[in-house]
Amino acid sequence: MWFEILGDIQGVETFASGRGIREPARLQKVYGRGNWRKRKGVAEIRLPDGTVRLAEIHWYEASGIGRREFKIKRFLD
Amino acid sequence: MNDTRFVLCIDNSAYPAALEKRKVYQVVPDPEAQRHHCLRVVDESGEDYLYPDPCFVAIELPEAAEAAFDEEAA
Repeated sequence: MWFEILGDIQGVETFASGRGIREPARLQKVYGRGNWRKRKGVAEIRLPDGTVRLAEIHWYEASGIGRREFKIKRFLD
Repeated sequence: MNDTRFVLCIDNSAYPAALEKRKVYQVVPDPEAQRHHCLRVVDESGEDYLYPDPCFVAIELPEAAEAAFDEEAA
């Protein structure tokens, strides 16, 4: 991951699953079969330039596989 | 990469599901992201996210190719 998540992720929720995910074939090919969901939450993050920001982050998650590919959706501060 | 509209992915090692190496992606203008050396890119999910600059190189597309992206976005 190119940025660091500081502390816990707050307000975690699922916002897409099943047919709501556009890239299920890619997820299964890369990480394996699973009940993939797209999840989001809010966390403080540290960027490579040292800046600490509050951000909405999204990731893929499947039971037994875990969380993959944390992405920054937007800055909230 | 000011005014960049399209980029070619050259490194998807951290995002093998969300990005495909050697594929063209559309950039959404985001000056704040650029200050952090990031680009806002529409990835394989169809949504735009911030990614680090070094994952991409800026490219120019022929008009017909740009139009194809615009149709997809519409």
